[in-house]
Amino acid sequence: MADRISSGGVARHSTPWLFIIPIALGAVIVNAFASPLVVGLYTYFCVTLMLVLGLQMFMGNSGILNWSYVGFMGVGAFASSILSVAPAVKAMGVPNMYPFLVELNAPIPVAILVGGLVAAAIAIVIAWPLMRLSDAVGVITLFATLIVFHVIMTQWDNVTNGPRTFFGVPFFTTIWIGAGAAIVTILVAYYFRESSLGLRLRASRDDRHAAMAVGVNMVAVRYFTFVLSSFIAGVAGGLWAHYITSFSPSTSFYVTEIFVLLTMLVIGGEGSISGAFVGTAIITVLRELLRQVESLINNSGVSLDVYGLTQVSMAILMIVILIWRPTGIIGGQELRWPLFKKKGVAEPASGAE
Amino acid sequence: MSENTMLSVRDLRASYGAIAALHGVSVEVAEGELVALLGANGAGKSTTLKSICGVLRPVNGTVTFMGEEIANKTPESILRKGISLVPEGREIFTSLTVAENLRLGAFASYKKARYEADLEEMFGLFPILKERLHQPGGLLSGGEQQMLAIARSLMSHPKLLMLDEPSLGLSPTMTDQIFELIGDLHKRGTTILLVEQNAERALEIADRVYLLKTGNIEFAGTPQQMESEVDIAAVYFGGEDAGESCEVVS
Amino acid sequence: MTGEFFINTLSLGSLYALMALGLVFVYGILKLVNFAYGEYIMIAGYTMFVLGTYTGVPWYFTMLLAVVAAAFTSYMTEIVAFRPVRTKSMSAMLVTSFAVSMLLQNMVLLVVSPRARAVPLPALFNESVVVFGVTTPLRNILTIVTAVVLLVGLSLLMKYTVLGIAMRAAADKFTTTRLMGVPANLVISVAFIISGTLAGVVSIFWVSRSASVDPLIGFAPLLIAFIATVIGGMNSLTGAVVGGFVYGLLFNALSIMLPASMLNFRDAFMFVIVILFLLFRPEGLIRGNYTEERVG
Repeated sequence: MADRISSGGVARHSTPWLFIIPIALGAVIVNAFASPLVVGLYTYFCVTLMLVLGLQMFMGNSGILNWSYVGFMGVGAFASSILSVAPAVKAMGVPNMYPFLVELNAPIPVAILVGGLVAAAIAIVIAWPLMRLSDAVGVITLFATLIVFHVIMTQWDNVTNGPRTFFGVPFFTTIWIGAGAAIVTILVAYYFRESSLGLRLRASRDDRHAAMAVGVNMVAVRYFTFVLSSFIAGVAGGLWAHYITSFSPSTSFYVTEIFVLLTMLVIGGEGSISGAFVGTAIITVLRELLRQVESLINNSGVSLDVYGLTQVSMAILMIVILIWRPTGIIGGQELRWPLFKKKGVAEPASGAE
Repeated sequence: MSENTMLSVRDLRASYGAIAALHGVSVEVAEGELVALLGANGAGKSTTLKSICGVLRPVNGTVTFMGEEIANKTPESILRKGISLVPEGREIFTSLTVAENLRLGAFASYKKARYEADLEEMFGLFPILKERLHQPGGLLSGGEQQMLAIARSLMSHPKLLMLDEPSLGLSPTMTDQIFELIGDLHKRGTTILLVEQNAERALEIADRVYLLKTGNIEFAGTPQQMESEVDIAAVYFGGEDAGESCEVVS
Repeated sequence: MTGEFFINTLSLGSLYALMALGLVFVYGILKLVNFAYGEYIMIAGYTMFVLGTYTGVPWYFTMLLAVVAAAFTSYMTEIVAFRPVRTKSMSAMLVTSFAVSMLLQNMVLLVVSPRARAVPLPALFNESVVVFGVTTPLRNILTIVTAVVLLVGLSLLMKYTVLGIAMRAAADKFTTTRLMGVPANLVISVAFIISGTLAGVVSIFWVSRSASVDPLIGFAPLLIAFIATVIGGMNSLTGAVVGGFVYGLLFNALSIMLPASMLNFRDAFMFVIVILFLLFRPEGLIRGNYTEERVG
């Protein structure tokens, strides 16, 4: 196949490193010099990045909007927390919990992994028929799946404490864990995209019939990717839970959350991990800025619901991007090193004459 | 370009995404002519028609109709200027009745006073339509649908009628009928641009012919000239250089 | 089945049918599942709140203005957000509708309040009437009557006017409709206006159930419209109506049949039932002319 260095002087597999190096360096610098607040912010960014990458893996390559994604995040969060929280704390915090769940305990890393596996298991069971539906029916059904997740998580108080807060989760996700997880996910997402499975998925998105004609089993390809993506969501959910240490399903795994992830992905560009990274970075910074704006405004006496302001800003930004450049800031192709081609290097023929 | 040139296409370039389909096509149709655009599958014949009537936006080139530049106009405005396309595959509104299909054909040019007369004229040309007037279009046979499609276009009183492969998928008898009909329309003075794979029948009724091959005009002239100068079989079935495929451009 | 259950279900089904219809009008032509549809309902609700609370406008006029507000909002979202994205991809339009929905929700949240607001309603809505020996609030009867009137009106429009013919054609083959000289923008704008109008009417009856409005009030009807539409079949207006009634029946039946402890899970049950139904019959109850492709 193609050389590692293709014509045009571009390093073919440089993309993941374009982001891994800054993430690692950033972690070192932030940890050494920045306030605990910023350290926390950076960690949160890394976990969010992992979430967005998992979403990108499925959505960006298949073109299907996976509304149910945050449901799997919630599954991972709960499953891992139930395992890692001490029985005594569980018995007190979730009075109706099934006894066998109260007794369960495992080291945190194991718990988080199990969280991912439980999410994947659910995906394995429910995803096959979902992947057979197409277009509008598929969109609605995936949305309905999110609702089902939400209802179960907020009502099943034998497991989740209902809509109330689940607390007492031990803190585990340090800046190193977060950065490490993000780095691993970048590699996974990148090599998935370039793998045979990823290529087949993208082929089926671009032209369904052509792909089927060359033997791509569209349902199978979508299915495997969905399961993998859900696994990542589950692990990320676990890491997230062990960062914020207490959470509630009524405010954490629902429409607003998928909206935020979607905004990050769409603004950066859903077709590539470069897009996922850029989008996550931009929106994370934006939200922080708006938070500062809120403090300023509140200090001057006027109270403003910054929650609404953040959503409005993101929505407007998303609409603008969709109108102006629907493939996102990055567009569909990965960034490579060097970022800009040197002049004078022969380029393959482009455009109609 | 002669005085009564109705349609003038110059150096038309069109693409489907990154794939260039037309590499600079030039075609002219004068008033009252029946011009045939021939070529093998994938040569770009439908693409040319679609670019003319606004379904496809050309990358480059000009399309002038009655002295007006129409290259980037919407399909609905081009219809109002007087060009009507009978699409490939007929594209009958299957859930609408024959009557409703015809009514829609007259959408832009509806005049209550002459509507009934227009319908009667269509029934004269295509008696079967009157029989099936209140049946859903989806129940008609292939040939009947083709007739409905042509009638539907005629309801708009077009100055230029474009037909995209009208004989496609029709039985030989039906094909005869359709070509006879097209010939009749021509005799009555309708200007026609006909795209066909069935070269033989098209050559019988055409005033002039263009031959399209992978996005380029290979030949332009009268049917007699074409029969003596061009090896038609080679064009359709492959000759020395007939192995070219569409250029894929990144 | 008691008479009360019957009237209740008929009324609920009528409301659900209108919800579904509003969604399908846009879907049929643009093939877009419009997430912002719920927000048209919300805007109508807030119109009733503002007019009812701060002005002396009589209630029937308030309701009329609410419907107009919804139709206008729908029309504007098309022009501002959907039209520019129309030529891009299907998925871009879908995400846009979601973004518009979040935008409208949160703008109202910012400008008014995240908390629910009471909406004054005419007393006669809640008065009980006796119909065929059954006692029921008047608003149930009004819902049924309004639905029937609207359904008949829309049927007449679609069947006997040129505009209706054009819209049906556009839902069948959009590009070919343009080739007939039908302006694409006209057909789409009309679809959005009708959709918004239906949303406005739905809002009147939906808001009157709780006599209050909040920024998220459009979400439940949106979901109902989604599900009712897929049950009935996304490709026909009839399907939407049938789906609405079936869904209303399912809802009421489950409300009665589920043990009290499981009632919280009613929504989840309904969706699971619907999802299972879809797996066996993705095209819904009423087959349209063009069936959704099933992928595998």
